[in-house]
Amino acid sequence: MKRLLKIWWREIRLFSKRPMMLTLLFVAPIVLLLFFVSLMSDGLPKDLPAGLVDEDNTQITRTIVRTLDAMEQTEVMNHRYASVSEARDAMQRGEIYAFLHIPAGTTEKALAQRQPRLAFYTNQSYLVAGSLLMRDLRTASELAGMAISRSTFLAKGMTDDQAMAAIRPIVIEAHPIGNSVLDYSVYLSNIIVPGCLLIFVLLFTSYTLGLEWKYGKQRKLYNMAGQSTTIAVIGKIAPQTVVFSLMMLLYDVVFYRYLGFPCHCSLLEIWSVGILSILAAQAFAVFVFGLLQGHMRMAMSICSLWGIVSISISGCSFPVMAMDPILQAASWLFPLRHYYLIYVAVALHDWSIMSVWTSVVALLCFMLLPVLSTPMLRNAFLHAVYKP
Amino acid sequence: MRFLSDIYKVWSFEFRNILRDSGVILFALIVPLAYPLLYAFIYNNETIREVPVAVVDEADSQLSRRFVRMLDATADVKVAARALSMEEAEELNRTGMTYGTIRIPAEFDKQLARGEQTTIGVYADMAGMLYYKALMLSSTNVSLELNKEIKAERFYTGATDRQLEIAAQPVEYFDVALFNPKGGFAAFLLPAVLMLILQQTLMLSIGMTGGETRERYAGRVLPPRPEFDNTLAVLLGKTLIYFPLYMIEALYMFYFVSDLFTLPMLGSVVDYVLFMIPYILSCIFMAITFSSFIFRREDCIMLYVFMSLPLLFISGISWPGTAVPEFWKVVSWIFPSTFALNGYVRIHSMGATLSQVEPEFIGLWVQTIVYMVFAAIFYHKVARKAESERLATEDK
Repeated sequence: MKRLLKIWWREIRLFSKRPMMLTLLFVAPIVLLLFFVSLMSDGLPKDLPAGLVDEDNTQITRTIVRTLDAMEQTEVMNHRYASVSEARDAMQRGEIYAFLHIPAGTTEKALAQRQPRLAFYTNQSYLVAGSLLMRDLRTASELAGMAISRSTFLAKGMTDDQAMAAIRPIVIEAHPIGNSVLDYSVYLSNIIVPGCLLIFVLLFTSYTLGLEWKYGKQRKLYNMAGQSTTIAVIGKIAPQTVVFSLMMLLYDVVFYRYLGFPCHCSLLEIWSVGILSILAAQAFAVFVFGLLQGHMRMAMSICSLWGIVSISISGCSFPVMAMDPILQAASWLFPLRHYYLIYVAVALHDWSIMSVWTSVVALLCFMLLPVLSTPMLRNAFLHAVYKP
Repeated sequence: MRFLSDIYKVWSFEFRNILRDSGVILFALIVPLAYPLLYAFIYNNETIREVPVAVVDEADSQLSRRFVRMLDATADVKVAARALSMEEAEELNRTGMTYGTIRIPAEFDKQLARGEQTTIGVYADMAGMLYYKALMLSSTNVSLELNKEIKAERFYTGATDRQLEIAAQPVEYFDVALFNPKGGFAAFLLPAVLMLILQQTLMLSIGMTGGETRERYAGRVLPPRPEFDNTLAVLLGKTLIYFPLYMIEALYMFYFVSDLFTLPMLGSVVDYVLFMIPYILSCIFMAITFSSFIFRREDCIMLYVFMSLPLLFISGISWPGTAVPEFWKVVSWIFPSTFALNGYVRIHSMGATLSQVEPEFIGLWVQTIVYMVFAAIFYHKVARKAESERLATEDK
């Protein structure tokens, strides 16, 4: 214990002498948080630019445009494109994400019950914008048809309710469980930001360990730890665990208290999951560092590649169930995947932690990894020298 | 002549350095070649199909069963289980068997028979936005189809098919998903990731060699050799290493990766190559400029790696550019990736010509020039210092 305290004190002194490291440790995670929170502060992107090719230009087509413009996600550009190819050109220039084509004679056909045809084009290369606009354009087109049906039924002497029931006997009602406003920030920020922190943890762990070798101080550390690899490593990284855990707490407070993201569990519970994931990431980095016998840059490279992939393979944007079976199995090897699964169960839904006990066990298993590479790490402490 | 031989000396010195350096080989060669394949593998299925749902059919009538059958027949949704209550359905959701629930109310047929509206509830697991999208789209489509039939039966008995069609849908509409007809994830995200990989690995490679030189020559970014005194020769020599390599990698991404994973590809290779020239140049000069902050070779991994995600989001691909706050938009202009990601997606996936990506193209050239000036000033200062130190030692 005395040894641990001594190493910790040494760590704090080391850090205070390296301003870049302090900045990285304290400023970078906060900048990340501010970045993602401010980027998605609207929840859903608003007023996405859409174009209009109105060859008909009557009262009815103007009504469609007004309906569309009133929708929160859509903003119809003032400029009217003369033809579909002109609008397509504007799309290729990146000025609009979608456009609606109202062919000449639409109103006339509608009045004569000859079923006019609207077309809308969405740019799915920008998937988020394209999908949101497609939804709005579809609704607007549907409403246009309904308005005509409605007037027909009203003319037959139906009440408003009856007319609606006649037009749409069955309606679909959406119940998004856990994120009722479809806030993108809720489903991206609170995984990506901790995810970036975990990348950071992986890197920082292998970086600070490696610096011991780089400056040839590894033997000194080893001796300070009474020639115990375990004490040396714990002494080295425990102060960082404290800082990272506080960052995670800050994230949790901002997300679940300040921004009011859905959280069915207590702050303490979700924070514990965060700490568990931080420990798992640190353990993974120590494991890799040991396996590579203290080859600092290689360890950092592997940690960075691992960390970057973990964001994709966590399944927070593209579901793991749709990936190849090999990748579904591989997803177990990423701490962030387990953080995500536990978060979904206990915070997003009100499920008990038992429903995701496998992920909890997996995170605990990560913490045992360094035990496997301890002999190699000891060897590194005794014999390895820094290799650039 | 002296100038050309200086360039060659710088070039060959750097080249030998890189060949010896497994770290740079990893980031400049292996990552740009292998990482796209890994990402393509992850997103290869493009969309989610057959999202398993539970059905709570309280009506259990002919029509409600038909709804369920039709939903099951859609590509995106699979009826994986029938539950007797919402609690039971939630239990299925909890065990990961299903990702949503469809609830048909008990009064489904009664309401329809009375000519009232009836409501089918779609409960989607919001752990991912795609589950919700698949469930809502499929059930809405099925409901529209059924509505059409119900209306035909009620109001238009004896009408012709065409009359029914018109009555059911007075205004027809069709949607065209341009440039990514499947609405796939790989076709959307991968092009952006490819461009980002180019920038990030260049930053890492040049940052690492810079850090390495500093470590080897006591804090100097350039080796103390006479050919490194000529700033222009140094810039050219370094550029001539990375530029050809990265142009080849860019072509590899344009052809091989897109082909292997059948990504939409409409663009012309000439426009693409012309667009890549300022992108790779600006990345090289930015990497040199930023390497003035790198003192240890490993520092750049620390600094650059976790920037990748914010750079992807700030560029306007993952998150629509029009929704990026003004402040971050200005910040994004610091990085060539912002222009390149958009330009590449538009040229490669959407078949835009060079003139259609003019603002991005100009932006990249401006960055090339600005960063080249910064890089030149940085190297010039270093070289002058080295020169005066050498003179000082000679004087003694």
